Amino acid sequence: MIASRTVEVAATAPAFPYSGPEELRLPIRNALSRVVDPEVAMTIVDVGLVYGVQVDDKQVQVRVTMTSAACPVVDVIIDDIWCELSRAVPESLQIDVEIVWEPPWTPDRMTDRAKRTMGW
Amino acid sequence: MDARSHDRSRQAHDGLVTGACVAALACAAIALVAAVAGGLLRACPAPAPSTVPSWLAAGAASHAALMVCGVLGTVIGLERAVALGRWGAFAAPSASAGGALATLAGHAEAAGGMFVLAATAFVVVNLAILRKQPAAHTAMLLSGALAWLAGSLMHAFGDGTAVPLWLSFVVLTIAAERLEMTRLTRRARHAGMQLWAVTAVMIVGAGAAASPSGFGAAGPGVFGASLVLLAAWLFTHDIARRTLLTEGLSRYMAVCLLAGYAWLGVAGVAWLGLAWGLPVRDMALHALGLGFVGSMMMAHAPVILPALTRVRLRFGTVFYMPLAVLHGSLVLRLAHGAGDPIQRGVGAALNALAIALFAATVLASAVAWRLTRHRPVSLEG
Repeated sequence: MIASRTVEVAATAPAFPYSGPEELRLPIRNALSRVVDPEVAMTIVDVGLVYGVQVDDKQVQVRVTMTSAACPVVDVIIDDIWCELSRAVPESLQIDVEIVWEPPWTPDRMTDRAKRTMGW
Repeated sequence: MDARSHDRSRQAHDGLVTGACVAALACAAIALVAAVAGGLLRACPAPAPSTVPSWLAAGAASHAALMVCGVLGTVIGLERAVALGRWGAFAAPSASAGGALATLAGHAEAAGGMFVLAATAFVVVNLAILRKQPAAHTAMLLSGALAWLAGSLMHAFGDGTAVPLWLSFVVLTIAAERLEMTRLTRRARHAGMQLWAVTAVMIVGAGAAASPSGFGAAGPGVFGASLVLLAAWLFTHDIARRTLLTEGLSRYMAVCLLAGYAWLGVAGVAWLGLAWGLPVRDMALHALGLGFVGSMMMAHAPVILPALTRVRLRFGTVFYMPLAVLHGSLVLRLAHGAGDPIQRGVGAALNALAIALFAATVLASAVAWRLTRHRPVSLEG
């Protein structure tokens, strides 16, 4: 990952499953939307890689997937998620990023904006 | 475990992984320098000096083995090892890096065995990835790994030539990665089947071309036809035509990819020319090895190197300079190279300059990122 692009997500952007304090919903969504896959110039939210976010009084747990198990960029994306979330949530919260492979990613998870970019 | 201690254990693990990657990449860089220098020695129109350093002689004699196994095999092996996240997976790039050093030390037989070991380990790694994610692109990655193993077995024990099989390893690996990216688009229904058909033709052609007889013109001809078909498939289905309309790094990568696909088509035509007995061996090998594969490496290095080394890069339009030199010098080399040894030698020297410029660009972009990391950074070039 070269860099994170500053992208403020419209409130109408398709959401991933979220449970936790309402006041953290948008900051977390914006933080995750600053993590960009440089090859396709789309955020991990737009590609549909974020499977869900759960916040309790101790931690923020993020479940993400990758389009390919053969891609070495996974650790960089985890780092970027940590970096962006650490600026968006209280310091008292532990950040836990989990890579999951089930259910497998499909193009159906892409946002309308991402699909338009890719010519759907 | 609190958040901070969790961070420390992860950082310690990351540090070990990064250290392993940097050590293997250093070996790959040594192999690259020796292979390029050896290639220049072979392309030089002047008579070779009577004595050259042993590493340079090895670089000239084992140019293909060093480039494919020592450099590309090590880098691709590291990519898969990091992706899989298991220490055992580092056996493949470690063995290929060791094979490269053994080659330069003059132990060609031991190096051949290490390349077989590397390819075998790489097959096992790809089986593990296929098991983790059963998909068309992971199956195709496995087919590429098997081509590397077949080529390395041929190199170590066979009477034929490993080169077509080794090239198939790299080409199929790239094709698999691009197949994976096509899932982001509304892909034509039969696109996947078409690519598998091309893969089958390529494996048959490469196998035939690698055999001692080459099956006459059939081996190179079928292999060349598969390369032409693959170029057509990539031009038709790859997302690069879409990402060309974006900006910054994504657009740069698209330019690299599309230029590479053009060279892939040229290489395919040159292999067909070889089958007809035309003197186009340099074009068949280097339109593919430099034009296609080199362009793919330039495309993906800004993404892959940070993933392997944790050294981040600041992308800028300066990345287009080595790319332009690479493609321009390749045109110079191959346009009249077969009949003009001086032009071929000059082209080859400029090819080497392009690689050196790219390395310098990567280093400068790493420094630029460190200098600007506290400022907002955009993807714009």
